[in-house]
Amino acid sequence: MLEALAFYIFAAVTLVSAIGVVASRNIVRSAVCLLGTLGGVACLYFLLNANLLAAIQLIVYAGGTLILIVFGVMLTSKSPWVVFDPTRGQVVGAVIVSILLATGLCMLLVGNEWPAGTAMTASPHVKDVGTMLLTDYLVPFEAASVLLLVVMIGAAYLARPEK
Amino acid sequence: MLTIGLNHYLVLSAIVFSLGILCMVTKRNALGILIGVELVLNAANVNLVAFSRYQTGAADGHMFAVFVILLAAAEAAIGIAIFMNFYNTLQTIDVDRGDELRN
Amino acid sequence: MQYQTALALGVVVPLASFFFLALFGPRLGKPKSSYVALLAIGISCALSTYVLVNWLKLSTPERTELTASAYRFDWGTLGSMPLTVGVKLDSLTVIMYFMVTFIAFWIHFFSIGYMEGHSDEVDHVSKYHRFFTYLSLFCFSMLGLVVSSSLLFLFIFWELVGLCSYLLIGFYFDRKYASNAAIKAFITNRVGDFGFILGMALVALYLNTLDLDLAAARFAEQFHKSAEGPAVGIFANSYTLFGFSVASLMGIGLFCGAMGKSAQFPLHVWLPDAMAGPTPVSALIHAATMVAAGVYLVARIFRLLTPEAQFFIACIGCITLTITALIAIVQTDIKKVLAYSTLSQLGYMIFGMGMGAWVAALFHLMTHAFFKAMLFLGSGQVIEGCHHEQDMRKMGGLRKKMPVTCWTFFIGVLAIAGFGLPGVEIGHVKLGLGGFFSKDEILAVAYERAFNIPELKKTDAAADDAGEHADASNANMGVASPFRLASDNQPAQHAETEHSEHDAHAHGDHAQGTPQKMAIAAKLPAIPKWMFFFPIAIAYITPFYMMRCWWMTFCGKPRDHHVYDHAHESWKMFLPLVILAGGTFFSSYQMFRPLIHDAAVIATDSSTVVAIDGEAHVLAEAGGGTMIMLNHAPGKNPHDWLKMGVGFSWLIGMGFAVLVYLRGLGLADKLKRMFGPIHTALEQKLYFDHVYDAVLVGGTVTFGFVCGLFDKIVVDGIVNMTALLGKFVGVFTGRQLDMPVKRGDWGIVDAIANGLAQTMLDIGSEIRRPQSGRIRMYVMITAGSAAVALLVVLNYHRLADGLQWLMSNVGTRVLAANGS
Repeated sequence: MLEALAFYIFAAVTLVSAIGVVASRNIVRSAVCLLGTLGGVACLYFLLNANLLAAIQLIVYAGGTLILIVFGVMLTSKSPWVVFDPTRGQVVGAVIVSILLATGLCMLLVGNEWPAGTAMTASPHVKDVGTMLLTDYLVPFEAASVLLLVVMIGAAYLARPEK
Repeated sequence: MLTIGLNHYLVLSAIVFSLGILCMVTKRNALGILIGVELVLNAANVNLVAFSRYQTGAADGHMFAVFVILLAAAEAAIGIAIFMNFYNTLQTIDVDRGDELRN
Repeated sequence: MQYQTALALGVVVPLASFFFLALFGPRLGKPKSSYVALLAIGISCALSTYVLVNWLKLSTPERTELTASAYRFDWGTLGSMPLTVGVKLDSLTVIMYFMVTFIAFWIHFFSIGYMEGHSDEVDHVSKYHRFFTYLSLFCFSMLGLVVSSSLLFLFIFWELVGLCSYLLIGFYFDRKYASNAAIKAFITNRVGDFGFILGMALVALYLNTLDLDLAAARFAEQFHKSAEGPAVGIFANSYTLFGFSVASLMGIGLFCGAMGKSAQFPLHVWLPDAMAGPTPVSALIHAATMVAAGVYLVARIFRLLTPEAQFFIACIGCITLTITALIAIVQTDIKKVLAYSTLSQLGYMIFGMGMGAWVAALFHLMTHAFFKAMLFLGSGQVIEGCHHEQDMRKMGGLRKKMPVTCWTFFIGVLAIAGFGLPGVEIGHVKLGLGGFFSKDEILAVAYERAFNIPELKKTDAAADDAGEHADASNANMGVASPFRLASDNQPAQHAETEHSEHDAHAHGDHAQGTPQKMAIAAKLPAIPKWMFFFPIAIAYITPFYMMRCWWMTFCGKPRDHHVYDHAHESWKMFLPLVILAGGTFFSSYQMFRPLIHDAAVIATDSSTVVAIDGEAHVLAEAGGGTMIMLNHAPGKNPHDWLKMGVGFSWLIGMGFAVLVYLRGLGLADKLKRMFGPIHTALEQKLYFDHVYDAVLVGGTVTFGFVCGLFDKIVVDGIVNMTALLGKFVGVFTGRQLDMPVKRGDWGIVDAIANGLAQTMLDIGSEIRRPQSGRIRMYVMITAGSAAVALLVVLNYHRLADGLQWLMSNVGTRVLAANGS
């Protein structure tokens, strides 16, 4: 009962702020709404027994990526209130497409009979997740670290000042 | 309705996913597109974690989600670097202006 | 295990060389970087020699044992399908591996001499090290392809050799034709690989594995189950495409890959253009190894083929070998002649595979690899010596200037022409070179398929009538079957005597072990007769154009003194020629055929198609029970009259060439004028390039133009119409329902109507430009198509039902209306 209540609240937060992201004409407001979505999703992770992931979501996403985006907004607009609006036709078309897409996905996901699985009883301990990361997922982990290095160099190269 | 199951999360993620696509299509600001991508990735993550919780019972879905978050961060960093370049070249951040391969 | 380790090590060494050269090549500079590549392939060659020598010491059961116990491990899982990695270890792998490393080593050696005299600078940066870097990468990929035990890894290496081919054809990328040729080769191969991927998908879908042996085992299992009871697996799918069942489509799909890589009709167009690459590359990649990979692939998937798929393969091979040999007659560029002759010989191999002549086709592959590599290196020597002149009309008389090249080249010509003296034997060794044995065998099997399989069918039908179908072999023996079966326990001498006596009455005890093979053979479709006569005719044409090439280059009087004076040869380049000439002799005889035959025991053990052995007595010596063999009925043994019919084709063809070109080009020109239109058609490569250009390139352009017109007329029209209509409705309704209070002030309905019109206009102008470079539009189109596809798939039945309901209702009404 309590879980259901929590789910509906967090889902509402996520959805409303996601709609806010889409609907607001100003990019800064979109970014702030995105914070709401990210937070809502993090709360959902808590409900889904993924405590560590929720923490990572808040720290990396809300704390890192979002700030990066806001910096991006600052650096690329003459004024933060510059607005480019899509044409009305684009909006109507896009709304139709996304409604169709949502309907299709819901039909697919809900209509499917998933095989009976084993439910997770308790949130995996951070230690276990760490062990998995360094045993079963060692290769992706290392690949990811190389990727981050490449990204660091690449971003620095791309954003270098003009000669 | 009152017992929350897999389907609840799946529907939620489907809707967030579609909103992400909508965001990518309607924003003319390049950073708006980036935000849309973040929404899409979050929707996928919710899916992964939900399946991990209700279907497999193991933390593999969490692992994938961690990597997705990592990739999203990397993508945002590179994306913003590219948009800075874009802005330096065209003096605007409107993606509709970037429809030519040469400037 | 130790053999596998040696082979795997031999694959990795060139890879190490590739990385080393990629990193330090520029620093090593001109001569040194080539030594690294030479050393690497030298190590691989040594390892393969070690394996081969030890392998030869083993007996057949020991080899089979090793093949069966070859180590492989699970690399990962795809759904429920494990992906296994392993080094394939059987006789075919061992000899292919040896052939590749041996030829590659000597071609590396040749390349050092060849590249010395070539300008390799683009914008003052030397590309010298790059050439050897690519060569190392190619050796790695090709060896990996040979040892792969799984289709997936075979495909990965397959693509890698394609990439190397692309890089090396376009080595002189500053020349426009070279980079065009590289792109052409790459794209043509993509067409074939598309089929390959589809074939692999079918294998994965129905056989749930990509491991070659396991797939074959499951295929056979499904076939037997389907034969006994209700169809299962791939045989249960009743879908057909152009009359081919899904089981056949699987084989044909995989064969499409081979069609691309081995340049078979209709994808043969890239190989002649690929001659734009450096000559050592043409020798290694486009003559000896990579293009043969297609044949190797067919050999590996032989157990997955069905009779229809096999027939398809044979048709493609037959068409290729015929048209390319005809084109080769009129080419004047020395490398182009060799390229077309390669195509023709590849056609023979593919044709052989399709006929079930598994052993013969691979034997031909081996012999062909040696002599064709040698021929290409010889042409490289000539081109290098003649100041980069490739036109044979400007050569002539080079015999005196380059004697070693001349005579090694001549050995190659003899080998490809099928030089041999039928019936003459020195000791146990029959006198002949390469093509004499292998081509003869392919033709013999073709004869089997064209004339004897139908007879077998008749006897089989007779057996059916007699109600003795339960034991097909005995029934066949009872009615004096034209066929005989090889089996393990048949003594060698016995077979020899039978062979010479043309014993029509096969013995029942010889047939034991493989009666099911006879039953399979009886079900094979008979091939049309032209598929036997075309290859025979081409066997006469091959010696002609090869002799023409040799004569024009080396004999007669020098036609261009500038070229003639410049001609010279160097030991660095002719040493490999001499070695490969030795290899040509060697490969024609003892070693290869029994080994290939050894591999055939397992590799052709199919339950849908049957491998036919062309040389009965050798078969008995090697001892194999999986193949049926030649007919020995009196007067019907193809070896008897093939010997007389085709055995001297080399003499006739080469003699004719000498007659035509004995006095320079005069007579040839006369002939050319006589056969004007035919000559032009052949010179234009039978217009394949033109047709492709017109259909594909022109088609694309036309399609674009039509789309543009559609945009302008239909879409714009609709948009404008809608807008006008909207406006009209707006004005109309405004007048009628929504009278403005003041002039110029729109009411609510007006606003909605006008807004609608404006929206329509916006949507329209958006649809009009889907290819605008606007990233958002792309996202929208992708998402929209995905949504529509999803909805259609999910509601497919409802849609189909609705449509059917609509159709039937409308149909009845129309009928009723007509009736009344």
